[in-house]
Amino acid sequence: MADEEYRRVDGRKVDELRPIKIIPSVLSRAEGSAYIEWGQNKALAAVFGPREALPQHIQNPTKALVNYVYRMATFSVPDRKSPKPGRREIEISKVSGEALEKAIFVERFPNTTIDIYVHIFDSNAGTRCAALTAASVALADAGIPMRDLVAACAVGRANGKIILDPCKDEEDASDAVDMPLAIMPRTKEVVLLQMDGLISKEDWKKAFEFGLKGCLEVYEIQKRALKHRYEALARTEQKAIKAVDKQLMDAAESLER
Amino acid sequence: MNSRLVIPGELVTEKRMKLGPHVFVEKGKIYSDTLGLVKMERGVVRVVPLQGKYMPKANDVVVGIVVAEEYSFYIIDINSFYYSFLPKEEIKLPLKKGSIVSAKIARVNEINEVSLSNIRVLHGGEIIPIAPTRVPRVIGKNASMLKLLQHGTKCAIIVGMNGWVWAKGREENIRLLKKALQKIERESHLSNLTLKIQKMLSSKEADKV
Repeated sequence: MADEEYRRVDGRKVDELRPIKIIPSVLSRAEGSAYIEWGQNKALAAVFGPREALPQHIQNPTKALVNYVYRMATFSVPDRKSPKPGRREIEISKVSGEALEKAIFVERFPNTTIDIYVHIFDSNAGTRCAALTAASVALADAGIPMRDLVAACAVGRANGKIILDPCKDEEDASDAVDMPLAIMPRTKEVVLLQMDGLISKEDWKKAFEFGLKGCLEVYEIQKRALKHRYEALARTEQKAIKAVDKQLMDAAESLER
Repeated sequence: MNSRLVIPGELVTEKRMKLGPHVFVEKGKIYSDTLGLVKMERGVVRVVPLQGKYMPKANDVVVGIVVAEEYSFYIIDINSFYYSFLPKEEIKLPLKKGSIVSAKIARVNEINEVSLSNIRVLHGGEIIPIAPTRVPRVIGKNASMLKLLQHGTKCAIIVGMNGWVWAKGREENIRLLKKALQKIERESHLSNLTLKIQKMLSSKEADKV
């Protein structure tokens, strides 16, 4: 069957993402935060810092440390997951942190650490991409200087078809390939690329093209989410500043009199 | 007036312009490094951030707390991501741990350590924290909002660029000031802010707040 007509287990086309919803600034304690719903995946990201890195011996006088913590809730998977961070979570934390470090201007904040905590509440494949996407929105929300946002998306193969954003059923196919990919959209620089399974060179190239396209789509959603949150605020602020300044001058004058 | 909202990594302009804060150049084009509003004035392009911590800058007046005393200097917390240092040669009388000071930032070195000068000890009073990005609104054009607050609440007020406001006055006046500052922070993007603040400060009910 041709790619255009092919429908996947959940009715999507081969190059269709699951619906994504991002809401920035949802936590008031954190300096920046974001909530993401990516299909069935649900995650919260919180950002703190830059703040002093402690104990002192971990400080780096040339750059800020990026401390990325990815955790899954015990109830996020069908069987209870042990709350102890496992090998998988530690690995994801490491690679995702390194991906974001590429985007942040770490060299401007020596001897500090930027803490990013992402918790997964519900999962159905592709949580590391959802987490990374939410984390980069939370970083922007915290006002941390960055070269670009980081947009992530998985691509894979199931039942002989190259597919974008595989869900759990597709990931469990007999010939499954799963390839999470994260890029900085402006330069299309790859900051995270992992792969499970075996794939031919031609198929990999096609999968990579799919992945880039998916990441750019995710980027548009991130951009829209951030602008939606701040645009209304910014628009009224512009109008108000001039008017308020004039009133302020008058008020101050009348007080002096 | 130019006032586009940009996100980190978004193109600000392709023109050649002088660089202000929060922009960077890559391959001849100018990009924003933060979430904020684009301002282009007199050939200088900058982005005014909507979020973020205080980044120490030379010649800023800040409010701080003495945290510790070392052999030749004091360590002062200025609500940034690093402590700042005050050499003892700057002062005549010794400082006490926990006392509030206002100071001018003399120098910021390459790892963001801050040296302070023009120190002034603030006796009594308290620190009210506000968002550093909102400080210009609390001061206002030609310090008009600050004047309004000072007259309206009859408090002595010093606004640090680091987002700490020192205030001293009678208890009910301080409470009023806190409410006014909260209002400014929350509604700084809305119009008629001054009128609201003025009304709030002058109303009889203010005492009951």
